Amino acid sequence: MMTNQENKYEAGFSSNAKKDPVRVVFISKKTSATVTGDPGQQVMTYPHLVVREAIAFMVLVIALVAVALFWDAPLEQLANPLLTPNPAKAPWYFLGLQELLHYFPPLVAGIIIPTLVVIGLVVIPYFSVNVQGKPLWSEDRKRNLWMVLFVLVALVLLLGFSRAWTVLVPTALIGALMLYSYFAAAKSSPRREYLRTRPLSWWIMTWFILVAVVLTVVGTYFRGPGWSWVWPWSNHAG
Amino acid sequence: MTTSFSFQGALERLRETRVWRSIFRRGPARTNRTRSLAIFGNLFLHLLPVKVREKSLGVRASYYLGSISFLLFIVLVISGILLMFYYHPASPQAYRDMKDLRFVVSNGVFLRNLHRIAAQLMVLLVFWHMFHVFYRGGYKPPHEFNWVIGVFLLLATLFLSYTGYLLPWDQLAFWAITVGTNIISAMPAIGKKVRFISLGGNRVGENALLRFYVLHCVVLPLIAIVLIAVHFWRVRKDGGLTVREHDDEPGK
Amino acid sequence: MSETKNPPGGKNESAASPKIGIPRREFLNEIAAGALGIAGLGSMVVTYRYLSPNVLFEPPTTFLVGSPDLYPQNSVTFLQDQQVYIVRTDQGFYAVSAVCTHLGCITQWKPELEQIACPCHGSKFRLDGTKIEGPAPRPLPHFSIALTADGELQVDTLEILPLNQVLKV
Repeated sequence: MMTNQENKYEAGFSSNAKKDPVRVVFISKKTSATVTGDPGQQVMTYPHLVVREAIAFMVLVIALVAVALFWDAPLEQLANPLLTPNPAKAPWYFLGLQELLHYFPPLVAGIIIPTLVVIGLVVIPYFSVNVQGKPLWSEDRKRNLWMVLFVLVALVLLLGFSRAWTVLVPTALIGALMLYSYFAAAKSSPRREYLRTRPLSWWIMTWFILVAVVLTVVGTYFRGPGWSWVWPWSNHAG
Repeated sequence: MTTSFSFQGALERLRETRVWRSIFRRGPARTNRTRSLAIFGNLFLHLLPVKVREKSLGVRASYYLGSISFLLFIVLVISGILLMFYYHPASPQAYRDMKDLRFVVSNGVFLRNLHRIAAQLMVLLVFWHMFHVFYRGGYKPPHEFNWVIGVFLLLATLFLSYTGYLLPWDQLAFWAITVGTNIISAMPAIGKKVRFISLGGNRVGENALLRFYVLHCVVLPLIAIVLIAVHFWRVRKDGGLTVREHDDEPGK
Repeated sequence: MSETKNPPGGKNESAASPKIGIPRREFLNEIAAGALGIAGLGSMVVTYRYLSPNVLFEPPTTFLVGSPDLYPQNSVTFLQDQQVYIVRTDQGFYAVSAVCTHLGCITQWKPELEQIACPCHGSKFRLDGTKIEGPAPRPLPHFSIALTADGELQVDTLEILPLNQVLKV
């Protein structure tokens, strides 16, 4: 046991672990109070995670540099407030929105729908209705089927009335897939079984992604001057 | 043939010098104690825990989507800072600077291409990361708030991309931002005021360019960095990446 | 032609022979470190070249100052934009820099004192640029002045001439 007589003028610690033992950290088996469940097999962050991240970074840089050496970023004419190019397109991640603007007024397509999307995303974890991820068709099959059919028909009617075909088609597709999953026999094939056991949240998110992708693809490749429909191979639409 | 000089040996001797040991205090990471210190004693890395779950390391667990998004952010900051040395956020000088970068500046084309491709990829990847976390259930308690932070990071990424889009000051940039800011004015009651503040005026002009430049280079990156730090902290504090029973260990 | 293969019992042989070369792990580590070093060095070189401009928007270093007839005999003309004195003596022309060699202030020609004086720290020069007094370390340099094919005088601020050289016209 070290006395403090010799150390009374020292501050800080020396590099000699024997002379001046330093407590580094107590790593106890307990963890943050919010963590439940068994951690399972663990490994040291250094080197295992750090090396993997370093490799990911190197691979990413190689890929980026390879592309940057050969694919030039575009630069059009100097900005001219008096001359609007036709079509005037937003960056690709907003093209879905621009396609939606074709069917609905700016307040709806530009403000209300994006706001609802953001709010919808934010509240996902707080809708603790189905934390276990229960399949949609596992309980109350008939009731759920009627509710799904009601929503689908209402959506299709609303979209058809607004002539929003690019939204209607993927919605109808998802609807068909849902009905297919309802009628699929248990464990008939791995794919059918997978669909059969999907919870409602899965269906809603998949519908959202499909609609967003279709809208973006249409806005990028299928829209030409005046936002008219063009076939991508006939005219340069993108 | 024998080599009397080996780099390993030289490195070992370097590591024993006093100067080195005053900077790097833990010694080679060969024991679990020094490996712990490599994380715990490092300013940047001690956000991470000393141990991680082996199953979370596999590529198929996360596809490293979040990591790659962050690494893209780093690439964008570095390439963006370099681009700032030649870019004047004034009209029409900004456009001339883009031409300069393309024709006159050494490696200007490469840097601009790198910045743009990393930006497009980052938007794509954060969307993909969000969808992947959703399908894995990584938003479920206790991770709810981290998901919300993620949504805000998504918005920050989109706004970073959008403000950057104006800076080349070409037709593509000008009209994309014109359309976007016109949509903003459709907001009830406050729309016109928000558009006025964003543009610094009634039309897309010099003020808009400067404001978007400040947003793109200062405000939004700072917000993003803070949110990223909280996001990482939350992931680790809440027990690390979500693993499923059927996740494989890395290397399998 | 048959190749002699090492017999399975060759293990004893390799144990007895001296260890040569370096371990594979060490070799691979060194190769990797070398590759990373080259990449890092290359990035630094590329960044340095990127940061040094190839085109500058600064005033040109050679400029025309008009025909010799514009300058009367035994006159001193101060060109403010180019920061140079055009001096015409009996022998000919020379161009003296108007920038003080101390810290870069613009000097003034005082004809009544026949001195070039710097207002900042009091350095004084003769008309040929040599120093009379003051903290300036060097005399004012003479720029090369030549006659173009069109008969105009041209000054080149990058070319410094010795003090007694004049352009005879």
